[in-house]
Amino acid sequence: MIRFESVEKWFGQHQVLAGVTGEVKRGEVVTLLGSSGSGKSTLIRAVTRLEAIQGGQVLFEGADVAGRGVDINRLRQRVGFVFQAFNLFPHLTVLGNITLGLERLRKMGKAAARDRAMSELDRVSLADKADALPSRLSGGQRQRVAIARALAMDPDVMLFDEPTSALDPEMVNEVLRVMRTLAQDGMTMVVVTHEIGFAREVADTVWFLDKGRIVESGAPAEVLDDPRHDRLRSFLSRAR
Amino acid sequence: MLEILEDNWLLFLIGQYPHGPVGGLAMTLLLAAAGLSLSFPVAIALALARLSARRWLRGPATAVVYIVRGLPLIMFIFWTYFALPLLIGHTVGGVETLLFALIVYEASYLSEIIRAGIEGLPKGQVEAAKALGLGYFPTTFKIILPQVLHNMMPSLVRQFVSTIKETSLGYVISANEVTFAASQVNNQLMTQPFEVYGLLALTYFTLCFTLTSAARWLERRLTAERGGLGAQPA
Repeated sequence: MIRFESVEKWFGQHQVLAGVTGEVKRGEVVTLLGSSGSGKSTLIRAVTRLEAIQGGQVLFEGADVAGRGVDINRLRQRVGFVFQAFNLFPHLTVLGNITLGLERLRKMGKAAARDRAMSELDRVSLADKADALPSRLSGGQRQRVAIARALAMDPDVMLFDEPTSALDPEMVNEVLRVMRTLAQDGMTMVVVTHEIGFAREVADTVWFLDKGRIVESGAPAEVLDDPRHDRLRSFLSRAR
Repeated sequence: MLEILEDNWLLFLIGQYPHGPVGGLAMTLLLAAAGLSLSFPVAIALALARLSARRWLRGPATAVVYIVRGLPLIMFIFWTYFALPLLIGHTVGGVETLLFALIVYEASYLSEIIRAGIEGLPKGQVEAAKALGLGYFPTTFKIILPQVLHNMMPSLVRQFVSTIKETSLGYVISANEVTFAASQVNNQLMTQPFEVYGLLALTYFTLCFTLTSAARWLERRLTAERGGLGAQPA
């Protein structure tokens, strides 16, 4: 579904991605682990061109996302993205955050968009907050709304960029619970996270990135319990 | 002083209306309000052009803003006064001339306020809109501008205050606003300029001070909104 082929990216002189190659299959849950600065966020941001790359290719369903004739906005509608900082629209209600894309992009009528948004809010157990402004919600609730907003567009894949890193510890689980259910429902997911427990339990594949490369990948059991690289070993020991 | 006020308060307030054109303080407020609201769409266009990735939009817009901001308003009033009738082929009244000059002038200043507001929004807002698949126009008009305009309410009120003061320059081209009314009264009385212009000063001050206080109040409310219960992390 998503293929990275020798993806390279520089920020000035600094190379953040140094030739990443890998594939995410339909229905698969891939978690990206790595210390900060290893390039994992940049990699998933490149999928919908929130980040431009300078070398290699990112393919979505076989087509280069930076290719000619690609309608990037159409592509982005098929790829849900959840940010570390939630990025809800503060001037819109919870419901308004979700219906905006449905009305504007899916061309749904008000009533249909509302129904769809409410069913997504139900899925993240926040139907009672539909008319609240985001500023009235806790961090965990905001992130669940952000997930609902992305899901409402009916994406083929969901990308999560450290979805729990900005949360107080007691709110992490409510977000992880939603993500776990999503994975069980068969959603294709790429999750950048520091939650090793989540990776072990939910992921089909774990990629460990270091200095802009995937240095180790495989099933969680082999990567997490039997790490071959020193970098991964020390990363895991620090994470515990 | 009270006597002057008793005899002329109506002239100060509304000019010769209903026996002649509206003038006085009413015209001052009308000019400032119309000048600011009509310059608003121009200001938004200028700000968006200045932030555009396209050089042919950015360049001219930047030039306009820099040129206008580098010249005093009275220059524009003179230019409009002499050039506008030539361009459109018939004479233009003082009020219309002043209004036109104000629109050009205020648009440049407002565009800078709007631009700063857009640049000051958390980057995540635009990213979230992009990630949803929203294009440039819905992102700009549904996500960015509503937030920017809300945040810039205090600056907008302050700009209204300076516009009110700027309308006094209409005096030089006989736009009958409140300064013009005061000078009419002064010309009649001949001997009491301090009293007359004292009243004028008091009028401007009361108006502007009240509005500035309102701007401060708005600003406090916005700060509370942002810093209060669960502001979003940037």
